[in-house]
Amino acid sequence: MNIQEYISSGIIESYILGLANEKETNEFERLCMHHPELVSARISFEEKLEAYVRENAIDPPAYVRLKTSEAIRPFTRDNSSKIVSIQSTTKAAHSGNRLLKYMIAAAVILLIGSAYLLNRFQAQNERIKTANQALLAKVNAKDSLLREIVGEDQLMKGSNMKIVKMEGTSTAPQASASIYWDSTSESVYLVVKNMPKLPDGKQYQLWASVDNKPRNLGVFNATDDKVVILKMKNIRKADAFAITIENKGGNITPSLDKTQATGKTKPL
Amino acid sequence: MGSVDNKYTEQELVFLLKAKDEKVFSYLYENYSAGLYSIIIQIVPDREQAGDVLQEVFVNIWSKIDSYDRSKGKLFTWMLNVARNLSIDVIRSKSYRNNLKNQSPDEAGYIEIDYSANTTVVTQRILNSIGLKNAVQQLRPEYSNLIDLAYFKGYTQEEIAGIEGLPLGTVKTRIRSALIQLREHLK
Repeated sequence: MNIQEYISSGIIESYILGLANEKETNEFERLCMHHPELVSARISFEEKLEAYVRENAIDPPAYVRLKTSEAIRPFTRDNSSKIVSIQSTTKAAHSGNRLLKYMIAAAVILLIGSAYLLNRFQAQNERIKTANQALLAKVNAKDSLLREIVGEDQLMKGSNMKIVKMEGTSTAPQASASIYWDSTSESVYLVVKNMPKLPDGKQYQLWASVDNKPRNLGVFNATDDKVVILKMKNIRKADAFAITIENKGGNITPSLDKTQATGKTKPL
Repeated sequence: MGSVDNKYTEQELVFLLKAKDEKVFSYLYENYSAGLYSIIIQIVPDREQAGDVLQEVFVNIWSKIDSYDRSKGKLFTWMLNVARNLSIDVIRSKSYRNNLKNQSPDEAGYIEIDYSANTTVVTQRILNSIGLKNAVQQLRPEYSNLIDLAYFKGYTQEEIAGIEGLPLGTVKTRIRSALIQLREHLK
């Protein structure tokens, strides 16, 4: 499949607007996993659509907001506002007793003063809570990133992980990459250390040799000096791996004259 | 409140939604209600009904955020599809269609809507000149009609082929071409 043709076929628009059928949807999501350029084209349409819808937004009637915030309350965690009711039980004082009048007046002033302070404390409390919440969100975002990193690290240390070092060929002596291949889950990860920049329209493609037949494991872009971990297609069995340069989107058979790096798996 | 636009990143927003934090609701409503409402009202033109749908959309966003999958699209896309799906559920419901039948054809086509604080009366005709419908109206007539049936009326391509008396293949091709054109009109 030519991925550029696929990208411009209208499938992205159809998928994003919810018009694609189940088969098209499944195919689209599967292809997204292997074609980063498809994902960036998708995101670019999503951004365009969002900007357009926002620009042409229509304010809903004001009363909807209150109704809606009431409607979501049952799904909200705790935080329900507490209603404090103060019942006035003071009975009218005897008119003759001036002292009692003063005391009531003083009590009322005190009450108003306390209410004011309570209000201020509550407002302050709200501000602190909001600040805390924002901080919590940030911490959690970082935390999930850390978990991802730890997960990747554990993956690399997994006991069933086979490591295949790939050496640059004479065409590309500086090329360097390693395959981490989990023979239990059949997952293939490619750790790219140094794959030189490619001309426009070209991509690297990873192949596995299975019983002397090449199997496509997916395409990737040049990484310059960065170390990048890529999840490639799963495979159960492989005798060797090779990286070739192909036209963008990949090839059906490898252009072996353009082999950049190869590595043999150890005998099973 | 224009400055709140970038208060949360999409990732933070999803996290706070998942935590069902009531405070994030104000932010969500301020930032997304008008965009979502514009899609709803173009499908369900009655202002009060559209308001009800908007409320349902937020309840859905709130209670079903766990089903949102970031790898499949942006949060906005997900919310937009929630809004469209619920709106289409309404117009395809039996009670809604029975109601329309009881109106004269003219009324059904031009439902009058008392719109916004300045009490302007917006008709179906005016609704066509705003929002996504406006972009769709700019397509060739045979295209805009198909997108209208598919996106705003929620018909499947098979149903459209039946309605229009066209082969399914033709409907598929025309919708794809229409979508490619539509992309260019979203400027």
